[in-house]
Amino acid sequence: MEVGNSFSQLDEAEGQVIEGLKARSQQPIADPDEWLEQELERNILVTSVDAIIDWSRRSSLWPAICFPACCAFELIATAASRFDISRFGMEVIRASPRQGDLMITAGTLTWKMAPQVRRIYDQMPEPKWVIAMGACAISGGIFASSYSVVPGYNRIIPVDVYVPGCPPRPEALLYGIRLLQQKVAKMSLINRGSSR
Amino acid sequence: MTVLSGNKLARQIEKVLPKAIIESSPQGLVVDKGFLLPLASYLKTARGLDFDYLTAITAVDYPDYFEVIYQLTSLKHNHTLVLKTRCYERDNPSLPSLVSLWRGADFQEREIYDLFGISFEGHPNLRHIFLWEGFQGHPLRKDYL
Amino acid sequence: MLADYGYIGLLLVVAIFFAVTTLLLPLSLSLPARLERYLRRLRQRLSLNYSFLARLLPPFSLPKFMQIIPYNPNPVKSSTFECGMPTIGKAWVQFNFRYYFYALVFIALDVLVVFLYPWAVELRELGLFGFIGVVIFIFIIVIGYIYAWRKKVLEWK
Repeated sequence: MEVGNSFSQLDEAEGQVIEGLKARSQQPIADPDEWLEQELERNILVTSVDAIIDWSRRSSLWPAICFPACCAFELIATAASRFDISRFGMEVIRASPRQGDLMITAGTLTWKMAPQVRRIYDQMPEPKWVIAMGACAISGGIFASSYSVVPGYNRIIPVDVYVPGCPPRPEALLYGIRLLQQKVAKMSLINRGSSR
Repeated sequence: MTVLSGNKLARQIEKVLPKAIIESSPQGLVVDKGFLLPLASYLKTARGLDFDYLTAITAVDYPDYFEVIYQLTSLKHNHTLVLKTRCYERDNPSLPSLVSLWRGADFQEREIYDLFGISFEGHPNLRHIFLWEGFQGHPLRKDYL
Repeated sequence: MLADYGYIGLLLVVAIFFAVTTLLLPLSLSLPARLERYLRRLRQRLSLNYSFLARLLPPFSLPKFMQIIPYNPNPVKSSTFECGMPTIGKAWVQFNFRYYFYALVFIALDVLVVFLYPWAVELRELGLFGFIGVVIFIFIIVIGYIYAWRKKVLEWK
C-alpha cells in the first residue's frame, strides 16, 4: 500500500536486487583454502621475491570499513590504544574500499544490507582478504533463523579467517589477524593464493 | 516524571468525549479506535495536559486483537500517559494516523505497518521501512512462521 | 655557488625521484598483468573476426610469477564508490556562482599583495616618497574593494 511518490520505483528496484541476491545465496561460498593444502613447490627463483612481497602485504593490511553491528565496538577497542592494531600494520581504517585490502566484517548482516556489502567487497582491489568477526558473521549467530539476517557472511563473500565470539575479545581478534598474516605468508607468486 | 493515572483522566475526558474510553486503569487508558484522533488532539491541546511529545508507538499481537500502544509525554508539565487501542480484525486492520498531530509518529507507524500489517489512514508515506519491497508477510505477527 | 646552494638541487632531485618512483613502480609492476589481459582480449576479438590471424598470435600467456601486481578490472569494481549503493545521476552539478565573485575579488587583491612584498623589503631605501606612492596605490585598490562591497558582491545567498 505505497502512497506513490518518486521513491516507489527505487524501492521496487531495491527489493528485486535483494530478492535476487537472496535467491543466489542459498549455499555458502567455499572458503578460498584449497591452495593451502596443495604441495607448495616453491620455485627457487621466486622464493625471496615471495618472501618480500608476502611480508610487505601482511605487515600493512589496511582494513576497509564494514561494521554493521556490535562487534564493531570490539574492533574499535582493538584499534584503540590498549590493544593497538596499528602495531600489526593496520595503521588506518580506510573508509574507502579502494584503499583497503582487508575487510573485517564486524556485525550481523541483514538481507537489506547484503547487496551493499557485496558491492563494497567487489570494489576492493586485489589482493583482498576477509575476516569474519563474531558469531553473527560466521553463521548468523543467535539470529541465524531470523527472517532478515544473512546466515553468515560466507553466503555472499568468500571468507578467509573466522574469529568466533560474541563479541570476540580484542585478543581473539588479534589472534585471528595473526592467523591471517600466517596465511598471507604462505602465498606465493606461483600459486597466487587468494589474489587471483 | 509522573505517570498520569488513567482513572482521573477518564473522568476529565468523559465530559468532553463521552464513550471514547473503554477501560481506564492506573497504568493508562484504552480507547475506542474511532475516537482515537479526536482524543489525541484533545490531549495535545488541553490546558493542564499539553501532551506535545509522542515518545513511542508500538504494537502487540494478542490472540484476539492487535493492541497499539502510544506513549505520550508532556515536556511542559513533565508527565506521561499510556494510551492503547485495539484492532479486532486480522486481515487489513487499520487505524487513523497521528502524523498530523505529532510528526514523530511518521516512522513509527511505518514500522508497525511493515512488521505487523496494521495500516494507518492518513499517513503520507506508508511503505516499508525495515524490510524490502517484495517481502511477503508481516514478521512480528505470531502466525508469521 | 654550488657549495652554497647545492643542497637545494639535491633535494629537488630526491623529490622528483621519489614522486616518479611512487607513480612508476606500481604501474611497471602491473604491466605483465595488464599485458596478459590485453593479449587475451585481443585474441578474443581476433578470433571473432579474423580467425586466421588468431592462430598467428601464439596461445601462450605470461607465467603467473611475472604478474606481481594483479590487474582484474570488472564493471562493478571500476564503478564509483557510494557506500555500496549504485549511483544515480551524474556528479557534474551546477555550483553556486558566488564562488566566481570571490575569486575575482581575490585576484585583484592578490596582485596588490604581490606588489607589497618587494616594497616592504626595500622600504628603508625608498623612503617617504615610496611610502606615499604605495599608499596612493592601496587607496585606489581599496576604492574598488569598497565598490564591490557596496554592490553586495560579497554576500552569500
